[in-house]
Amino acid sequence: MNFSNLKNLSTGYKVAFAVLAVLVLAGAGAYVWQFMGGLGVTGMSNGTSWGLYIACFMFFVGLSAGGLIVASSASIFHVKEYKKVALPAILVSLVCICIAGAFVLIDLGGIVRLLNLFASPNFMSPLLWDICVITTYLVINLVYLYFMTSKKPGAQDKVAVVSRFALPVAILVHSVTAWIFGLQIARAGWYSTIMAPLFVASAMDSGLALLLLGLLWMNRAKVFATSKKLIANLAGLLAVCIAVDGYMVGCEILTMAYPGTEHGMEELAALFTGVTAPFFWTEVIVGVIIPFCILVFAKNRRRMGLVALASAGVVVGVFCKRVWLLFTSFLYPNVAGAPGLITGSSSSHGAAGMDAWAVTSSYAPTLPELMIVVGMFALGVLAFLVLTKLFLSYDPAPALADDVAAGLAPADAAPTVGGAPAAAGCAPSVPAGKTTPAPAK
Amino acid sequence: MTKLAIAINKERCVGCHTCANACKMQNNVPMGMLWNRILTEGVDTMDGAVGEYPNLTRTYLPVQCQHCENAACLKVCPTGATYKDEKGRVEIDYDKCIGCRMCMAACPFNARVFNWDEPVRDPDVNYGDARVPVRNKGVMEKCTLCKERTDSGDVPMCVRVCPARARTFGDLDDPESDISKLARERAVDVHHLLEEKGTRPQLFYIG
Repeated sequence: MNFSNLKNLSTGYKVAFAVLAVLVLAGAGAYVWQFMGGLGVTGMSNGTSWGLYIACFMFFVGLSAGGLIVASSASIFHVKEYKKVALPAILVSLVCICIAGAFVLIDLGGIVRLLNLFASPNFMSPLLWDICVITTYLVINLVYLYFMTSKKPGAQDKVAVVSRFALPVAILVHSVTAWIFGLQIARAGWYSTIMAPLFVASAMDSGLALLLLGLLWMNRAKVFATSKKLIANLAGLLAVCIAVDGYMVGCEILTMAYPGTEHGMEELAALFTGVTAPFFWTEVIVGVIIPFCILVFAKNRRRMGLVALASAGVVVGVFCKRVWLLFTSFLYPNVAGAPGLITGSSSSHGAAGMDAWAVTSSYAPTLPELMIVVGMFALGVLAFLVLTKLFLSYDPAPALADDVAAGLAPADAAPTVGGAPAAAGCAPSVPAGKTTPAPAK
Repeated sequence: MTKLAIAINKERCVGCHTCANACKMQNNVPMGMLWNRILTEGVDTMDGAVGEYPNLTRTYLPVQCQHCENAACLKVCPTGATYKDEKGRVEIDYDKCIGCRMCMAACPFNARVFNWDEPVRDPDVNYGDARVPVRNKGVMEKCTLCKERTDSGDVPMCVRVCPARARTFGDLDDPESDISKLARERAVDVHHLLEEKGTRPQLFYIG
């Protein structure tokens, strides 16, 4: 760790920190508002009892996957290439899992009674499993980070040991999050065996995409150098993950549609042409088809602009998927009839007479809810910026040498001297001088 | 064992909502919440009719906690705030509830209502039975099968007030109880709500 990196920040950083800090404070203010007034300040209702917070929780749990999976497969499957980005990958993972956990806490209506989780835990509850597994995951991330940056002899071997636990826990964290939904027989759109594998697939593609966006940004901002070759390699892995994700969504939709049950058809109609349709089609087009068509071609994977575009599409697409997955199942109560549910929609909060009822539930987030969500996103970005400053250093030489060797950069671009000075002991890459070969002539 | 339940005879229900209102008063249920709702089946406006004139039908379906034997809400509660008591009722320990609303997502019947805000009452007094605990914001609540009344030998308020005598309360494990007799006598007409979900509701409907 290098705290001196946080001194003498560039103007760009200062502005970014200031803007993010304002957003975080606004979010904190909105949370105080929610804490005082109760969850009624959100758009959630007796019909749509989980809202944007839980959608974001699913989203961030997923985002944290890519990092740890890449980092641990470097050790487990001996993918040496990935070792180079293991450290930034862990940082992405760490930030995302903290934000995900925070969203669960923000969503609690009775957070003052939180300690009951420890006083009288019910081990049958998938929510309790999730709390346990997320905590484990967080601890593994921290242990991983500690060994990875440790200067003590033998620390690298310990990284390999931690990896062997990290990968299964990473798979489990997504599965358990999926089981919160997938085990609920009450909700036709959730109750499916494919939910856990689907969450793992979504986690891998959105997590990898976020990692790629982070790496591309760090290349650009000269925070951390990654070779084009490695980015193209990761982009190839991303293409596979997108395909798996799209395939599983297809399986799920077909299984829901084929029997043609009344409830199933209602939900599919909402998904294809109804209220959640914009999210469904955005996921399919922006999150699956376009990025896959871009990344399936090796030539495109070497164009950083296209990789960034495809990655951004995947991240947006997976967010949309969380939204349609969560909300479609809240639309139609199983026991239908008029007047439906009391305080069953966002608009029926505090309404009088028949307006307090809803035959089908609808949901729209409120201002404080949006402010909290934006604040949490800002907090994530802020934490990531600080962590990259603390843990990473810019050393373009090995990356450039890799690219020269792979023919992705002109031969004369390779520096002959060992690039920028590496921060002592913290550079994840091999010391520059050691691997920089003389440029091929 | 005791397995308390209510039988609702849909053939007798006239959709007057007396049970819903009596429940609200007995249990001090705040504004914007009900433990017991009366749905008009197959339509999207209250008291609408199904079919085309002159072949019209109208049926009512009172919905409240079904006090399931295999309750989905109970399994998912992370703190064990929702529990099955010794009389076969599904109850909530309000002090344990952390307001995660997992049970709400798990209940197939939408029987649960949440204190989204600081509870509002009109008139602004605790109008319920004094024995019924007052719930705070951020807590889940639902039909308790009138725990306080049934513990002291009374029938639940919805059963007590029904002007059409559509409701029968009793112990399903006692073969001599009115509800057990009714279940036997009308066996072909007995059905449970959302049987296919497998939660095995204790409440049942006739007709």
